Amino acid sequence: MSETSEQPVNLTINSKSITAPGSLSVIQALWHAGYPRVKSVGCLEGVCGSCRIMVRRADSHELKMELGCQLLVEEGMEVIFLVFPNPTHHTYQLEEIKNSWEVQDKFHQIFPEADHCRHCGGCDKSCPKGIEVERGVELASKGRFGEAGELFVECVMCNFCMTACPELIAPNHVGLFSRRVTAYFHIRPSNLINRLEMLRKGDLQITQ
Amino acid sequence: MTNGIPYSDALGNYTPQRFREPSNDQTKTRDLLEQFHPDYMPDSMTTLRVGPNQGDVCHKQLADVLQSDARIEEADLAGANTVETDILVVGGGGAGCTAALTAARNGAKVILATKLRLGDSNTVMAEGGIQTSVEKGDTPQMHYDDTIKGGHHYVDKPLAAQMVMDGPNVIRWLIQQGMQFDVDKYGDLLTRRAGGTSAPRVVYYRDYTGLEMMRVLREALTNTGIEVWDYNPTVELLSNDQGHCAGAVVSSLKNCSYTLVKAKAVILATGGIGRMHLNGFPTSNHFGATGDGLVMAYRMGAKLRDLDSFQYHPSGLAYPQHLAGTLITEGVRSAGAYLLNGHGDRFVDELGPRDHVAAAILRECEEGRGVQVNETTRGVWLDTPGVELRNPGILKSRFPKLLQLGRKCGIDPAQKPLLIFPTLHYQNGGVVIDGNGCSTVRGLYCIGEVCGGIHGKNRLMGNSLLDIISFGRRAGEHAATEVHGRPHSNVSTEHLSELRRQLTLADMPMENQGPMLFPDYAKFETDSDYDGLHKAK
Repeated sequence: MSETSEQPVNLTINSKSITAPGSLSVIQALWHAGYPRVKSVGCLEGVCGSCRIMVRRADSHELKMELGCQLLVEEGMEVIFLVFPNPTHHTYQLEEIKNSWEVQDKFHQIFPEADHCRHCGGCDKSCPKGIEVERGVELASKGRFGEAGELFVECVMCNFCMTACPELIAPNHVGLFSRRVTAYFHIRPSNLINRLEMLRKGDLQITQ
Repeated sequence: MTNGIPYSDALGNYTPQRFREPSNDQTKTRDLLEQFHPDYMPDSMTTLRVGPNQGDVCHKQLADVLQSDARIEEADLAGANTVETDILVVGGGGAGCTAALTAARNGAKVILATKLRLGDSNTVMAEGGIQTSVEKGDTPQMHYDDTIKGGHHYVDKPLAAQMVMDGPNVIRWLIQQGMQFDVDKYGDLLTRRAGGTSAPRVVYYRDYTGLEMMRVLREALTNTGIEVWDYNPTVELLSNDQGHCAGAVVSSLKNCSYTLVKAKAVILATGGIGRMHLNGFPTSNHFGATGDGLVMAYRMGAKLRDLDSFQYHPSGLAYPQHLAGTLITEGVRSAGAYLLNGHGDRFVDELGPRDHVAAAILRECEEGRGVQVNETTRGVWLDTPGVELRNPGILKSRFPKLLQLGRKCGIDPAQKPLLIFPTLHYQNGGVVIDGNGCSTVRGLYCIGEVCGGIHGKNRLMGNSLLDIISFGRRAGEHAATEVHGRPHSNVSTEHLSELRRQLTLADMPMENQGPMLFPDYAKFETDSDYDGLHKAK
C-alpha cells in the first residue's frame, strides 16, 4: 500500500513524452495519456508475449527486454515497442519421429544450429521471464529433453531470445520441442488409458 | 459504497490460520443471485427488436451491438481483393486452432484469420485446467450431471453429453500434440476439484494449463501448412443466393484494406465479450474479446440463446488498481484457499458454483463486511497464506503464475492474502449449435465461447477448455468432409441490406456500428494508423 504509486511520473514511450500515475503499466500509461495502441496488446496478463518492449531506466545505460503489460512506469524511463518477429524457419511434425530412440537425431536435423551456441548469454539476458534459456538449449543438444523442457515452463513464446540469438537457434522453439516430445513419447497415464478402454468397450453411457 | 472495513485495518487484523470455521450460510442460490448477481441488476436488460431473437431478453450493452449497423458499405468492397479457400477459420484461440488443424489434416485448404496474433485469446489465460472424468470414483455421468446442475438446467443436454463423453479422448489428443499434464509418481494424471463438482476431475499443468495448451496448438498449427492471417480482424460474413454463409470480409491492420474471402464453410471461433465491460465490471478477458462473432452471426440470421447470462468469476484481483480484473485461478480455491470477509470470517462454501460464490462476495461488500481500499476499490480476502500453512511449499510447486502475480503486486501470497472481487469472465450464452458446431445458418460453424447451450446459464471451471477442443475437432472434421468437392458460390452482402431495412422499420438508431473490434480505450477509431478501416461514417 504505498501512496507514492499514485504520484505522476514522466517518461517517453515510442519517443512520445507521457505523464501517468506510477501505478500504471506501460500500456495503461499510453492509453491514460490519450495515445491509441492496438497492435502489441494481447492478454494484458503477461502470458501471451505480444507487448514486447525495450526499456532503458533513468539511472542506467542498460537496455532491458520486458512485457509492456507487466512493467510499471517509472520516472525518466524510455520505452520502445518492438514489432513481433517473423516465425522461425524451423519446421517439424511430431509424427515424423518414429520412436523415442530417434528424438535426439531428429532434433539435430530440425535444429542444426543448436550445437553452435556461442554462450553469449543474449538469450538469457533478453528473457522477460528469467528463464535459463542458454542452459535449456545445451540440455536439449545433449538429448536431455525432459530437463530442458522443465526450464521453459513459464515461456510465453515472446520470441525475444530468438531475436537475440546470433546463431538463429530459436531457443524458445528448442524449449517447446523439448516439452512436446516429452509429452508425446512419455506421458502415458494409466488412469486415462483405463478410462479410454472403458469408453471403447461401451461400458460408460450417459442417461440424459 | 464506502461502508467496508478499511484495507489497512483489515490487513492488520489478519493472521494466517490453519483452520477456520466453515460458513453456516444457508442462503438459497436463487435468492442470492436475484439479490446480488449482476445479471439481475435492474435496468441492465432489454428486449431485442430485430433479428432471429426478436423478443428475447438480452443485456443492454450486447443488444446495442447486436442491433448496430454494419461497419462497411458496398463501396468499401469495390476494389477489394478476393481469395478462395475451402474453410475460413475466424479466431486464433484454442478452438480456432483445433478446428483449423483438424480440418487441414482432413484434407481441406484452410485460412485462419485472427484479429491479433495466433494464440492471442482467452485460452492462453485459462490456467485452471480441463475437466474430464478419469478418477476411479468418477464417471462421465457424474460429469454430465454436474454440468447440467451448474448450468441451472438451461443446458442443451445432447451437447453436454457428447462433450463429457469426448473428455478422455480430448486429453489423449492434446498429449499427442505434445501438451504436458501434471502426473503423480506412477504417471497417472493428477486431478483437482472444481467448484460445483462432485468429484476431483480437473486435470491440469501447474497453473499454466491454457498457456501450455496454446503454445503447443500454435506450434502444431504453424507446422501444418495452414495460412495464418494475423492482425486481420473479420468485420462481416458473406452470404450466397440461398442466404447460406459463403465467406467473410477480412480487414488487415497491416495495410488497412479489406479482402473478400470466399469459403465453402466458415468456422467462427471469436470468443466472448469481456472487453465490453458489462455493467462497468473489470474483466479477466483478453484484449480482443469484444463479441465480434456474435454480431456477425446474428446478422447472417443465426439464432442465439441465453443472452442475459454472463459469468463473473469470483476471484478477480481487486487491488492494486493497474491489475484489477486479473484472474486468479479457481485452482487456488480447489487447493483449499478460504474466502474471508473483512472480519476474517468465511461466508460461503468456497467451492460452490461460480455464480453463487461471486454473488456472495458482492453481498459481503454491499452489506459492509468487505474490505475497502478507496471509493471504488473493494473486495474480500483470498486466504492464500492459509493454504501455504496447511501445505508448505504448495504455492511454489503448483501455482507459479500466482507467485508471479504476487511479485507484480508487491504482495507475497504466502504471507499476505490477496484482495479479490468478481471479474467479468465468460459469456454463458451465444450461437445455437448442434453436435458438429453447425449454427442454424448453413455453411456457418461456431465453436468455443461464441456458442451457447453447452454450459447453460453458468459454466463450471475446466469445462471451457474441454468444450473448445471437443467441438473444435468435431467442427473441423465435419466441415472438411462437407466442403469436399463442393464448388464456391457467388458472395454478397445482401444480408446487410436486410439488416438495415429491419433496423429502419423498427425505428432503431443507426449511429452505432459493429462489430466493436477493440475496446474504446484502445482508440482504434481515431488512430491514424488505421485510417482505411474506420467506420463508414
